[in-house]
Amino acid sequence: MDNGTADDRPPGLATAQLFTPGADAIYRLVLMTLVACLVALPVLGAGIVRSNYVTGVGVAPSQPLPFSHKHHSGELGIDCRYCHTGVEKEASAGIPPTHTCMTCHSQIWTGSDMLKPVRDSYAQDKPLVWNRLNKLPGYVYFNHSVHVTKGVGCSSCHGDVTSMQMTYRANAFEMQFCLDCHRAPEKNLRTPAEVWNMEWKPPADQASLGPKLAERYHVRGGERLTECGICHR
Amino acid sequence: MSGPPDLDALRDRLRGADGPRFWRSLDAVADSPEFRDYLASEFPAASRLAAAPDRRGFLKLMAASFALGGLTACGRDGRDYEVPYVNQPERVLPGVALSYASNAVFDGYGNGILVTTRNGRPVKVEGNPDHPWSRGGTDILAQASVLGLYDPFRSQAVQHLGRPASWAAFNGAMLPQMAEWRQSGGKGVALLTGPITSPTIAAEIARWRAAYPDAWWFSGSARDGALEGARRAFGRPLETLPDFGKARVIVALDGDFLDLGPGQVGLSRRWIDARRAALAEGRLLPLFSAAPTPSLTSAKADDAVPASGDRLDAVGRALLTAAAGGAAPEGDDPVARWTRRASAALAGARGGGIVTAGLTASPDLHALVHRLNGQLGNAGTTLGYHAPVAEAGAGSLSDLAVAMERGEVQALIVLGANPVYEAPGALDFAARMERVPLKIHAGLYYDETGAHADWHLPLAHPLESWGDVRALDGTAGLIQPTVSPFYNGHTVQEVLASLGGTDEGMDSLALVKRHWRRDGEDEKAFEARFDEALRMGFFPGGAAAMEAVTVLPSPPAGGAGTAAAPTPPRDGEGSSVEVVFRPDGTLYDGTHADLAWLQELPKPLTKVVWENVIAVSPALAAREGLVNGDLVRIEAEGRSVTGPAWILPGQAADTVTLGLGYGRDVPDHLSRGLGYDAGDLRPVATPWRLQGARLVRTGQSRMPATTQHLGTLPDDEEGRAILRTQVPGGAPVGDKPGPPPSFYPPPESQDRWVAAQWGMAIDLDACTGCNACVTACQAENNIPVVGREEVALGRWLGWIRIDRYYEGDLDAPATHFQPVPCMHCESAPCEVGCPVEATLHDSEGLNLQVYNRCVGTRTCQSYCPYKVRRFNYLDYSGGMPPVTQQQRNPEVTVRARGVMEKCTYCIQRIADARIASAKDAHAPIPDGTVETACQGACPTRAITFGNVADPESRVSAAKRDPRNYALLGHLNTKPRTTYLAGLAPQGRKA
Repeated sequence: MDNGTADDRPPGLATAQLFTPGADAIYRLVLMTLVACLVALPVLGAGIVRSNYVTGVGVAPSQPLPFSHKHHSGELGIDCRYCHTGVEKEASAGIPPTHTCMTCHSQIWTGSDMLKPVRDSYAQDKPLVWNRLNKLPGYVYFNHSVHVTKGVGCSSCHGDVTSMQMTYRANAFEMQFCLDCHRAPEKNLRTPAEVWNMEWKPPADQASLGPKLAERYHVRGGERLTECGICHR
Repeated sequence: MSGPPDLDALRDRLRGADGPRFWRSLDAVADSPEFRDYLASEFPAASRLAAAPDRRGFLKLMAASFALGGLTACGRDGRDYEVPYVNQPERVLPGVALSYASNAVFDGYGNGILVTTRNGRPVKVEGNPDHPWSRGGTDILAQASVLGLYDPFRSQAVQHLGRPASWAAFNGAMLPQMAEWRQSGGKGVALLTGPITSPTIAAEIARWRAAYPDAWWFSGSARDGALEGARRAFGRPLETLPDFGKARVIVALDGDFLDLGPGQVGLSRRWIDARRAALAEGRLLPLFSAAPTPSLTSAKADDAVPASGDRLDAVGRALLTAAAGGAAPEGDDPVARWTRRASAALAGARGGGIVTAGLTASPDLHALVHRLNGQLGNAGTTLGYHAPVAEAGAGSLSDLAVAMERGEVQALIVLGANPVYEAPGALDFAARMERVPLKIHAGLYYDETGAHADWHLPLAHPLESWGDVRALDGTAGLIQPTVSPFYNGHTVQEVLASLGGTDEGMDSLALVKRHWRRDGEDEKAFEARFDEALRMGFFPGGAAAMEAVTVLPSPPAGGAGTAAAPTPPRDGEGSSVEVVFRPDGTLYDGTHADLAWLQELPKPLTKVVWENVIAVSPALAAREGLVNGDLVRIEAEGRSVTGPAWILPGQAADTVTLGLGYGRDVPDHLSRGLGYDAGDLRPVATPWRLQGARLVRTGQSRMPATTQHLGTLPDDEEGRAILRTQVPGGAPVGDKPGPPPSFYPPPESQDRWVAAQWGMAIDLDACTGCNACVTACQAENNIPVVGREEVALGRWLGWIRIDRYYEGDLDAPATHFQPVPCMHCESAPCEVGCPVEATLHDSEGLNLQVYNRCVGTRTCQSYCPYKVRRFNYLDYSGGMPPVTQQQRNPEVTVRARGVMEKCTYCIQRIADARIASAKDAHAPIPDGTVETACQGACPTRAITFGNVADPESRVSAAKRDPRNYALLGHLNTKPRTTYLAGLAPQGRKA
């Protein structure tokens, strides 16, 4: 079969430009954009995954009633353990039963519209359903009691709850967050009296106090506390 | 194996020096190239995967899975809401385990249990260590009962003629009936129950019969034959309770006391306690066994011989003759030699011997055994006799069938039994039931009988109802609910009281209290006594009193029933065989056939799952040219069953064994279509044995799924056997103390390991192969069921497997069991292989498996010399019904597809103890605080677990035992799990 030569081409086409002079620039631009995307997309993705939009940090979800930790705990000074009774003894700190709310609210604010869901729950024996704030993956096991008895305060993980009008998640409980503390627990250890202090900031002598507290609490160092089996079963 | 077994070659191999000492199957003995290929393949479980797609297809699949795999990460996991109580019940704390003492019901008899509940849901059953009968042990049915509670196949509604109805409708319909019955005195009304040991139910039956004096009560029980034997020997039905502690020799005819059954837990414990005490004195408590088909009892025997059912009766007579001073039996066949050995042992231990007959032995043999024990002076010393614990009905199942055939039964009330399935095929129960105008069935399942009844009533599960039950020794235990009834089921006593018009508006608890309140007892004193019994799980001092017995003069020799008439050989194709029927190794009678845990639990001896097989002896297989899986038909009296043949070493030559519990036919149920129904062939007069049947090959074949070769370990090499046996008083076979020689420096970790160091010791002499540990592990660790096809591919998922080995002769081998969990090697080969460090050590010596790190390369599995790692090839946990998911242990991760898993030494229980001790000023964890699930379930306490760094701990003491050895210790993996060699008599014949 005859493939033909340049001479066989119809007149006019032989001298026509296939690409305009700018074509090369566009080609380079596209290539560079592609390369930039290769780098940028993962960075963007990682950013989105870590963003508060995804982790929910700082976002207060709607709740069946607008319960304010700031009012109850911060202003009225009710101890954490009045409602979260399990925190010193069990893995779970516990969400208070309606009965706990009614210990006070059967006496005060008995006619408040805001508290109607609480009264209804109590009267109809139907539990309040709260939107969950703090969540760990199924393969992670966290125990509140051992942390608070070993000098890790509430606010180290939950933030200053007493300043939250509507409660939000203070930290994204990703593995990095847990490990930071498990690698160097002495940085966050408090004296027993300070555990419930929501406004705790490391004191100036934390560098010398921390190791002493670790010894007193028998907190073993990073090597033991970062073993997988401590949290994963 | 490609052809039928070449028996002579196999026997030569076993006898010769090159044959294996311990072997798992005939294929392993034959050592065929196919079998070697199977073993050599790195991932037998993946072998069929590799064959499927070509390279292009594979790449496409991988690309798609990669893309979609990313998407699955986008799903939100876990719940997004919190639901607190309105009023928090006292002591119920979120996530905290709370235990209730109760009783598990096994064929009408009780075993003490503690039910662990979390968040208000029963999730695990443990043994009750204070219970006088079960002493802390459990069996597979008790362990699986927690799955039974959540079983989606359970009956959920009252049904009338197959349509949903209500209790109100039923009660309304019964009112005119009851008036009619009261007028007629209940003539023509028949009540059918299973064995009734419950004092409350028995009292309600008495009340019901008082209301209708002419009504009949029928009850069937597997113990009828044994009681009939006692009646022939003593003139009244009596239960026999052996006191192994006083025995110097035990002879078991036709198995049973270690076999799955109501007595298994209590008797196994008593047996092993006596055997341990004997070992402490430097002697063996020998167990002789003769049985037509191997069982756990014969497997644990120190001297076992297969003997057909006919021959067994003759053995009993020969032993009696010899005991009475007659001549020992002549002959040079294995059974005669065994009889002489057993006879000599019994004669040497007069007043200190125990002869037992299994439940499935003929009444004649039971009577013979009673006479033999009387003759030897054992009765009253090593053997106690007490009145039967179960209340006897006025008649048996066959009496009822006859009455129904005659048209005398106007109304049939079946409570907690399934006669349409259980009755021997010859009774044709279903057809006869059709002649009854009114049929009422109450059961946990809408089963075969429910489908034939006019009314079906759902019963409440024992874990959700009040009740009581007696153990085999008579101890009365209380059953208390651990959760509100799921499906509005009622208890047997409620149904009885309602039908008798005697309920006086009482619920189950009130009925139980009505029985237990003594006449004139102060209300307060009774409540205190009842509460204390509830807390303990039983009423103390309730064991049946032993009775003095005198043996009746024996019937004239050659009297009816003593000598079985030889079966005339009939012409036709196939072999003439004797058939024996046995409860299934995991399902027992099939009542719980819908429980997938029991279906997938390898049968203790065949290791077959999800079906029953027809067990044949190697000799019969050779004669008929059978290989495993060949479908054979067993024909007798015009009926037949067809099932896959399975060659079972230790089976009597011309006896085949049919397993009960399969061949269920309830639409939509899990058990439907699995196995064959051996009940079709069961004779009415001799329910456990059938003479003169024929075995015919069908020419077809269907290989059952088995775990027999799962994790086959390398053959033993010079002195480094996988299994070791210790002769009491002989040279110790255990490893020498101290670290084995190594080219490597001792691990630097030695000084680092200051915390508790976890380790385990498993006493192979105590392991009876009962499988309780396997089921307990499954319940504790959320191990999913994978199904028959997956098991056939080698993907069985259990974390602890029980390897069954044979030793010696093909026809009468010794049997050994070896539970194999993860060894938690100090120098773990698996950890070297993992590219992502998903398996690694912690400072307490645990070999961790981190599911969220695992990427599924399966390298660790191939590196593991013990083959204890299991891979999630598919999403086995995902498709579970929501109600079944409620059983899951919230303390253990549910594994996803594509990750490796294995025994963790119950790390969740260790973590609990560690956290408790950390909060308690860091006191060391006391020995015995951490009990693994397998350890807690074991009826013979074969497993010891604890801190090996503490020389005072029980596990350290066990590891100092001269029988202690490491499995594959020469690999220098330094396993934390070690074994205590099983005991063997001096010079066991091979």
